[in-house]
Order: sequence, then C-alpha cells, then structure tokens
Amino acid sequence: MTSGLAILAVDDEPRALTDIKRLLETSASVERVATATSAKEALVYLSGGRYDALFLDVAMPEIEGMALARLLRRFADPPAVVFLTGHPDAAVEAFEVQALDFLVKPVTRERLEAALGRVEQHVRGAEAAKTAPSGDGAESPAAGPDVVAVDNPKGGGKRLVRLETISFAQANGDYARIVCEDGRFLLRTPLSQLEKDWAATGFARVHRAYLVNLKHAVELRAQLNGTAVLIMRDDTEIPVARRNVAALRRRLHA
Amino acid sequence: MDHRTPGQSPDVPTVSVHFVNNVLAAAASYIEEDPDTARDVLAELGSFLSHRLRGPRTVSPAEELDHVGVYLRLEQARFPGRIEVELPTVSELPSTPVGAGEIQAPLSEAVSRWMGAHTGQVRVALRAREDALDLQLDRPDAPGEAGERLRIPWGLAAAGRVA
Repeated sequence: MTSGLAILAVDDEPRALTDIKRLLETSASVERVATATSAKEALVYLSGGRYDALFLDVAMPEIEGMALARLLRRFADPPAVVFLTGHPDAAVEAFEVQALDFLVKPVTRERLEAALGRVEQHVRGAEAAKTAPSGDGAESPAAGPDVVAVDNPKGGGKRLVRLETISFAQANGDYARIVCEDGRFLLRTPLSQLEKDWAATGFARVHRAYLVNLKHAVELRAQLNGTAVLIMRDDTEIPVARRNVAALRRRLHA
Repeated sequence: MDHRTPGQSPDVPTVSVHFVNNVLAAAASYIEEDPDTARDVLAELGSFLSHRLRGPRTVSPAEELDHVGVYLRLEQARFPGRIEVELPTVSELPSTPVGAGEIQAPLSEAVSRWMGAHTGQVRVALRAREDALDLQLDRPDAPGEAGERLRIPWGLAAAGRVA
C-alpha cells in the first residue's frame, strides 16, 4: 500500500450511502471513495479499477451484499469486504464469506476506524505476500479472519468460534472437523482452503489430514520412522508427516 | 411492567431493529448538509418508538393512522423520492380502537419486502374498507403491472381474536 486506501461503498439506501461516504472521506487512512447503489453497479466499478475494500450493505434488491461477497471470493485478487447492516444478526453469515469486519448502521467513527485499520493490515499483508519468496513453508503475513462460523450440532444453527481457541482441524471429506476449547464442530470447508485462509493466524498443515494451531502445540516428539507427533496442550497427539517435520521444527524454533 | 389490562391486545408487533438502525443512519447523513431534516427524522423516530414501546394497548384510529404516516415519512427519509403515499382520512376509518402497531406492522412488512425486491419508485396506497384496510403497492411508472395487494383486518388484536 503506497498511499491511502481506495474504498468502494455499496448501499441501495442513498442516505446511508451518503453517511458512510462522508465518514470514509474524512478518514485519514482513505484516499479515494467511490459509491454504488447496487451490486451490479459495484461490479462495473470493480471491473474498471482496483479497490482495497468494499463497504457493502447486506440487504439490497436483486443481488444481495452477501451474494456479491461470495462472487468476489472467486476473483484472483479480491478486495476485502466489510459488511454494513442494520441487522446485527447477519454477523455469522458475514464471517462465513470471510468478511474482514461487520459494521452495524449507523456506524460510529471509532468503529469505522477500527475496520479501516483491519483493511490496512489486510492490504499490507497481501502486498508482503506477493513480494515474499515462496516455497519454504513460511507463514504468510497476510491478515486473516479471527472468527469462523461452524455448524452448531445443537439447534442446527451457526456458531462463531475464535481461531485462537481452535487447537486443530481434521480433514473429513469436503468438511473439516474443528477441535476447539468449546468442543468439536463441523465446518463446510475443505482443509486445503482453511490452510490458505488461516496461514496468517499461526496454523500449519502438518499432515494430509491435519491443520494445527501452533500456539496450542507444546512438544514435537520425533518418531523412529522419520515422522513425528505433535503434542497439544490437551495432550492430543497429532501425526506429522515425514516431509513436514523439518519445516515444522524450524517454525517452532523460530 | 405489564401494561395490559383485560381486553387489550396480548401481543404488540415487534419493532424492526433493522428499520430503526437504518433510519438512524439516514438521520446521521443529514446532520451536516441539512440539520433541520436530521432533527425532523429523529423527532419522527422518537414519535414512532413512543407509539410502539409503551407496551400493549389499544389506540384510537387517528393515533394508529398517524403512526402509519410517521412510519412512511421515515421510509421516505431513507429513500428520498422513491415512495409515494396515499392514506385514508380518519373519517374513512372504522371507528373502533385498534392495537398499537396493528396496522403499521403488516404494512411495514409489505413495504420492506417490496423495497428489498424492487428498485425504482413505489406507490403505497392504503384504502379504508368497512372492517379492514386494503394495502396496494405498485410502481407508478408501470401502469397496468400487477403490484402487491394485502388486506389488513381492522381491530383483530384489540378484540382479542389474535393470539
């Protein structure tokens, strides 16, 4: 990020759009603000220029904000998404689409600046990831989400789980089984995707079937056959594939 | 505290948090460029909430009609130039009391549904019948196009017929 942020604000309510535009324009971290009153118009803007983040209303006619956010995830280099809504209950769904933040209208200056701070961190991380040498298994500095929405077996709804409380994720077909301080949950995301999404938050793929939060690891125990076992805080033993042992040892000793 | 007395409505339709937050966002947007409008929007929101947060009770037809008018003016503040409104006069309404919010709540649901599904202008017409109100939503720029119609029974909650 060489200068201030470029933001595209999208809301079908013209007055709400005016309000967020004024707030964004008067923030020191923002250089440029464009506005769109529909998801279709937003896509036109995105096809014609680069934006660091979308401030996106959830409820809009024709294409809703959440649908646009899902569409953006297919982009090679998507802008960060910060949701705006009058519906506080939409937060869970927002985290499902990896939104960077979720603001309830009307937005306070303090809350907006916090969201912009996250956008700046995200942009800096993405730029560093582009310039950093790859292939050594080093942790990406890109900022990731700090919360994930998992299937809640009680009641069938969604439950928010903070990444820092997750000990490890285990592959389960196209799903991942999440083991955290609050229990075990299913997440409808393959482990390979979680590996990318959570790389910046201290997770490492130690085995084909295991993605581990290294902050929860307490011991790396070598095995005679060249593999290893990672001992977690709760004494769970996670197998470490032979090809991952050296890189993992370097990370733990770094 | 329970404000109910025998014969009063057992339920008060809930106020939409989404609506209140979006009205506040609209009010915030007017503060710098048009403070008088910002003040008016906040005053109308205060009136709206006062009508609905005073607990279950019946109100006069004039009070509920005024509440409907306040609600629609708040929607017009959110969406300037998009909403045309046609309301009956008090003398056209049934004379019996009605539950607070009993007419506004279904009207609000219909308007929200419409605004969430359509762009462009909408005409909101509420017409009095003997024991009900007919709500018609349509696009003034598309004559002949079928809009949305809803019959809102008058005074069901007030008469204790709605659980």
